[in-house]
Amino acid sequence: MKQQEFFSSRWALIIATVGIAVGTGNIWRFSRIVAQNGGGSFLIPWVIFLLIWSVPLIIAEFGIGKSARLGPVGAITKTAGSKFAWMGAFVVFVSTAIMFYYSVVTGWCLRYFIASVSGDLLKVDDHLTYWNNFASSYEPLLFHFIAISFVAFVILRGVKKGIEKATKILVPSLLIILIILFFRAITLPDAIEGIKYFFTPDWNVVLDSKVWLNALTQNAWDTGAGWGLILTYAIYMRKKEDVPLNAVLIGFGNNTISIIAGITIFSTVFALSSVDAMNQVTQSGPANTGLTFIYLPILFNKISGSEAVNMFFASIFFLALFFAAVTSLMSMVELSTRTLIDFGLNRKRAIGIITITGFLLGIPSALDITFLANQDWVWGVGLILSGAFIAFAIRRYGIDKFRTEVINGLGTDIKIGKWYNYIIGILIPIQVVVLVSWWLISSVSWDPEWWNPFHAENAGTVIFQWTIVLTILIVFNKYIADKTLNTDSVE
Amino acid sequence: MEVSTIITMVIVLGIVWGGLILLLLRAINYEKHKSQDGEN
Repeated sequence: MKQQEFFSSRWALIIATVGIAVGTGNIWRFSRIVAQNGGGSFLIPWVIFLLIWSVPLIIAEFGIGKSARLGPVGAITKTAGSKFAWMGAFVVFVSTAIMFYYSVVTGWCLRYFIASVSGDLLKVDDHLTYWNNFASSYEPLLFHFIAISFVAFVILRGVKKGIEKATKILVPSLLIILIILFFRAITLPDAIEGIKYFFTPDWNVVLDSKVWLNALTQNAWDTGAGWGLILTYAIYMRKKEDVPLNAVLIGFGNNTISIIAGITIFSTVFALSSVDAMNQVTQSGPANTGLTFIYLPILFNKISGSEAVNMFFASIFFLALFFAAVTSLMSMVELSTRTLIDFGLNRKRAIGIITITGFLLGIPSALDITFLANQDWVWGVGLILSGAFIAFAIRRYGIDKFRTEVINGLGTDIKIGKWYNYIIGILIPIQVVVLVSWWLISSVSWDPEWWNPFHAENAGTVIFQWTIVLTILIVFNKYIADKTLNTDSVE
Repeated sequence: MEVSTIITMVIVLGIVWGGLILLLLRAINYEKHKSQDGEN
């Protein structure tokens, strides 16, 4: 099929891709993980993994998508060979499984934004009860429906008129809101205490393997490296578009936003919390919702003596969260849609199927937060495997060939040196092996019944669900490869 | 503020924010040249 749609400029591509990378993980997950892992001692490995995990994988995704002009299944099959179509299918499966519950989370953000604008949120006395009442009602289902329908409407309009147009409004708005919140937070009295905590290393935990594991998973999470989402947007890069500079820019841009969000949250919590601030940041709450949906609304009430000012800051915070979530959700729906397009469906039909399936399979997460936490755990860890499969595809293709012909090929602004070969060929596999082995060994101590597949967050449930999915995909490998490579896609 | 806090701040912000500014300037520069050469 002749490629019909492209992003109109480099900046349109960068804005859309920043929209993928910047999600709710940058805002609420990042702050919690920093607090749980010793503040500044976490930031050092987190920056290292930006350089040796996220950036190389973002470059890889851009390169594979641009050269193959197919979604992850077809692109990985083309790059690694038809025996490995199942790997591409696994990448798609993981991101799609995340999409099911991410739409629910997007709905929560929208619901809290509405509650802030209407003033209801600031009138609440007990935010934990308020959250529990909301989570156990049918409202999350309604907002999940609204979130996925809105995204489907955008995607239906195509890449240029849909994704590009929407992200050109949403991403800059998100940045402006975050900057407003940042300056408000750092000018609060005692905000400096939060900033100090954020950057002070705790030398007792600097070499703790758990800190390094969390630094890697957080980086994989918040940059979107290895998800296949950037690969999907790279399909729509212009032929003469640069790969390496754009990729590095997105990695650094994403982490910049995480730091802005982190400083904002730590400053706010330390300035306004009358009780032990750190306890509040580290307390997860159900499905890690504690800080954002239970504790921060309490703090918004204390920003100033004026109810209107407090309402304004609460509203723009939840609006920023919603924008961050919706631009990431957009890329997840586009990834699944593009996969069906590569299977021969037209865009309209593909979106219809993905939206209905996404809504239906998101229902369990909308109604049961334990189910959502389980899916978040299983497929969040699955991203490490997805990243490994992308690196493996390049190894099969020939890392040096990929670097010289694809990354440093037509349109490149900067040349990537031989160091890239060592990172993809040696460092990424080492990181995957060390990480997965460490995780398996330590998960035995987290849960005495670590083998039980029906526990929400243990090794057993991950191994059980991964095994089912991988077995099915490997059995149907030939069908998946033939269908993707021999079908003429209709955009 | 402790010395270790300042050092961590300089390293993290220097690499991430400094890196971003440098990369952005390079990208803007390349785009300027491309549009002057009529490539865009």
